[in-house]
Amino acid sequence: MFGYVRPSLARLSEEDRGRFSAAYCGLCRVLGQRYGQAARMILNYDFTFLAILLWPGEEAEALRRGCVAHPLRGRDFYPANEALELAADESVILAWWQIQDALADPGRGKWKYRAAARALRGAYRRARALRPAFDRTARALLAELRAMEEARCPSLDEPAGAFARILAAAAAESGHPVKGRVLEQLLYHLGRWIYLVDAADDLAEDFASGSYNPLICRFGLERGELTEEARESLTVSLDHSIRLMGAAFELWDFGPWAPIVRSTVYEGLFHVGTAVLEGTFQANDMAFRITGRDKEQL
Amino acid sequence: MTDPYEILNIPSTATDDEIKKAYRELARKYHPDNYHDNPLADLAQEKMKEINAAYDAIQKERSGRGRPGGSSGGYEGYAARQPGYGGYQYRQQERAGGSPAFQHVRMAINRNDLGMAEQLLAQIADHDGEWNFLKGTICYRRGWVDEARRYYQTACQMSPGDLEYRQALHFVENNGEGYRPEGYEIFSTGCGGNNLCAQMACGYAVCMGASTCGMRFLCC
Repeated sequence: MFGYVRPSLARLSEEDRGRFSAAYCGLCRVLGQRYGQAARMILNYDFTFLAILLWPGEEAEALRRGCVAHPLRGRDFYPANEALELAADESVILAWWQIQDALADPGRGKWKYRAAARALRGAYRRARALRPAFDRTARALLAELRAMEEARCPSLDEPAGAFARILAAAAAESGHPVKGRVLEQLLYHLGRWIYLVDAADDLAEDFASGSYNPLICRFGLERGELTEEARESLTVSLDHSIRLMGAAFELWDFGPWAPIVRSTVYEGLFHVGTAVLEGTFQANDMAFRITGRDKEQL
Repeated sequence: MTDPYEILNIPSTATDDEIKKAYRELARKYHPDNYHDNPLADLAQEKMKEINAAYDAIQKERSGRGRPGGSSGGYEGYAARQPGYGGYQYRQQERAGGSPAFQHVRMAINRNDLGMAEQLLAQIADHDGEWNFLKGTICYRRGWVDEARRYYQTACQMSPGDLEYRQALHFVENNGEGYRPEGYEIFSTGCGGNNLCAQMACGYAVCMGASTCGMRFLCC
């Protein structure tokens, strides 16, 4: 998971931005409490979005306290609940298997993944003990994914679908039949979208290193960039996946989280996808940070 | 029954026009055309029934009170009134001239037994327009958009006059026609020179501190 899933901040009220930020900080704290400081490095927006989708019906009250990153001013955060715990556990498992996947890929640099694997090993073991079913699903599907990579699978949908099923499995623990069905679809198409956007984002690098990239195989690319035709095809897939996420989103009442999910699905994903296709996406773009100070000024 | 005003998400003091507007927005959202070949179609159908019933109840109540029941009087429901909206309907059962083998595939697809449908399809040697269309439909039901589109394209090339195949392809390709909440205008990734899209390229990192504390790796 890579931090591509972001709400469109311009659409959010100050209250909703605060809510998003408190969920982000809440997840960071839960990761720290359950898995130690090192596990907080896996925190990103994608996992925050997962926690938001899994959030139980009732509204939570945010608390404020200092933390390692913000010792003086502190930040608002939601205290641990079942959604944050589930998202934290599943994040650790996904991050672990992604690191393993990167280590198995001959084309990539290894040192940072080795360091991350060392730091996360204990956390992964605890998460696996807590969520054995999710761990089994993630492990099996990532093995399928690796086999497709080794066979240089020429399909976009096959590997994207395998990755998507891992995310869809996160819905299995939502505990409500209708919400479970809605989330399964939403997360499945979100998973497809993340996989495809990540493939586009890594295209030049994968081409240079000779690593597998589904876009190279699907479109027979002879350079490290999309042809006009490939770009058009990829866009149809991305757009339709987003449309199907929207169709699922409308069938469940996400309560206080609805504006954040809506602005993500109907705008944020288009923004990120466009920036990735245009080569202007920067994961750590500082131009639009929500910090405690900004909030106080507003 | 739940309060019909609550279902339409409006106060009971709303004017007839406000009611109609709220109703239309919801009907646009849950219209069957948006849930074509979608595993959640049944949930959308329930929503549609609910809002139709709520609208009818309000119309009835208001006409009973001697108020002018809106300009529509006897509004029959959005779907019935708007046959032109997409109008994307599969002929799910009978298809003139379709072979029995293809009928079985269609029946399996309608039961959502995609494994069976795929098996039956694999036994048919002649990969004509219908074969490609049904293969595309199976892919679509799995959420495999790229492959669905390719099979639909082949089906359309082989049988250019077939309306059903063309509608299926159109549905996958023309995402701008799908539902968007009021005020949301973007419907495509990489919409180039459009101002709306240019604005956003300036950045959306909402990173709340992880990068300041040296935890950049794998993080936002």
